[in-house]
Amino acid sequence: MTPMLSAAGLCVERQGRRLLDGISLDLPQRGAVALVGPNGAGKSTLLHVLAGQLLPDRGGVQLQGAPLRAMTVAARAAQIGYMPQRFEPHWDVTLHELVQMRVPDAAPVLARAGLQPLAQRRWSTLSGGERARGMLAAVLATDPPLLLADEPGAALDVQHRLALVQALARRGREHLVVVAMHDLDLAFECFERVIVMQQGRVALDGAPSVLLQDPRLDAVFGVHFERIAVPPHTLLRARNQEDSNAH
Amino acid sequence: MKSWWPAWALLVLALVLGVCAGHEWAAPAQIWSAFAERDTLRARLLWEWRVPRVLAAACVGALLGLSGAVFQGVFRNPLAEPYLLGASGGAALGATVALLVPLGLPQSWLLPLLAFAGAWGSTLLVLGVARVAGALDAAGMLLAGVAMAAMLGAIRSFLMLALSDETVSLQVVMSWVLGGIQTPGWSGLGWLALITLGCLAGTQTLARGLDLLGLGDATAQSFGLDVARFVPRAVLLGSLVVAAAVAYGGLVAFVGLAAPHIARWWVGPLHRRVLPASALAGAVIVALADALARSVLPPAEVPLGLITAVAGGPFFIVLLARRLRAHGGRA
Repeated sequence: MTPMLSAAGLCVERQGRRLLDGISLDLPQRGAVALVGPNGAGKSTLLHVLAGQLLPDRGGVQLQGAPLRAMTVAARAAQIGYMPQRFEPHWDVTLHELVQMRVPDAAPVLARAGLQPLAQRRWSTLSGGERARGMLAAVLATDPPLLLADEPGAALDVQHRLALVQALARRGREHLVVVAMHDLDLAFECFERVIVMQQGRVALDGAPSVLLQDPRLDAVFGVHFERIAVPPHTLLRARNQEDSNAH
Repeated sequence: MKSWWPAWALLVLALVLGVCAGHEWAAPAQIWSAFAERDTLRARLLWEWRVPRVLAAACVGALLGLSGAVFQGVFRNPLAEPYLLGASGGAALGATVALLVPLGLPQSWLLPLLAFAGAWGSTLLVLGVARVAGALDAAGMLLAGVAMAAMLGAIRSFLMLALSDETVSLQVVMSWVLGGIQTPGWSGLGWLALITLGCLAGTQTLARGLDLLGLGDATAQSFGLDVARFVPRAVLLGSLVVAAAVAYGGLVAFVGLAAPHIARWWVGPLHRRVLPASALAGAVIVALADALARSVLPPAEVPLGLITAVAGGPFFIVLLARRLRAHGGRA
């Protein structure tokens, strides 16, 4: 089966700094993939390149076996849903109007997402959790086979972040979902594959159960992780490396 | 959705008021009789002078409102305005060249052509300057526009000083610079109406793109808008509308700023409705301002641009202050 998304030798350089340094990846037709790594590891840049919003200086991306670069913006938009890190519309649109910008018939989309009661509310009157749900509904309105999400819900409280991340992971049963995130416990618990990035490269890539025990994880994040077994899960607790040496 | 008829009623009211106003006030009944029979001198004056003038004012206002809505949409900034961004200044410079420089070409099409070239050229320059400076945000663009407007104004003044003589009166050029509706004949008015309708239809094709652009570049792109191609197309079309407005009405400030605000307040943020509503609001504003221009100091006429600037300046200051407060000091 051809991979949904296939990246080969991606390099992005900005002002002499390598943001992506030779990344190659194959992502299958379905699955929930978490993209983690310290700040500046290149997660957002990689998502931008995979979404076709940023052309790599070297290397290329293929979507369903066809080069992403050759696709029109409209064709890409139909195939790829992209949920940005921050989203603040310049005009105070209603949720209904926002979804309408993605698909002409917004009502069934909002009904499916259970957002009908909020349909006529203006963006400025929605809470953070409502905005995240609304934006996700708009992004998924065309039911794209691939969803890329850049730290969704980074600004949300625990309850809403959990609900959002679980919804994204659930979508991975039918489609391909790639989510950049900072919350390692959520990444290891909800996703079936975790890609750990460091300085523009893929440092680790595999199933959560394997990666959790990998000592290189500590090195990537520059901390010492205490692994706390809470069956069936293992939770990570970060400690400063000096502190843990003193113990 | 709000219904449109109150706006149309307001426009009709403004038009009637406009026809009544002047250094000799005409009663609405007299207008009606002028429509019915055009044999008295007064009726003919009304019919051949005031009615086309008022309709032309409405068309120019519609064009200004429309261009303001396009520019505010493209730059995603409620303070963007063709006058402030240098587009109007560029168009006026083009018109001045057409009026003063003997190029040996018929002025009837040289003037709109140069006005368009000026509007487009200066808008691109402002965009370019802001981009090079790395400040494609509102404040950077407004500052670049202010600088551009000052430069264009200086060049225009120089041309006026250097090139005007007995054959081309300064009065003609001044009436452009200060803004004033040219009174067209009925056939000229037909053209203006056609251009206005064309601009309305043309800008309507931008509506969805302008909506998407308001979501931010990345989201607009991921929702299917080719941002890199859309923005220049929208700027080009917006400049075309500005050029048409300047060719018929000279430099009229702040209508392009105020009309879209009124429109958004009234019909919400979607450009499918904001564009025609801005045109309507602009038409009402300029029809009223032009009526004022003709009746304040009879028998003289106050330049239209002075009236809109005096009324619109405070409006801009209030908007700017509100925005600065909301954005913690950044425009």
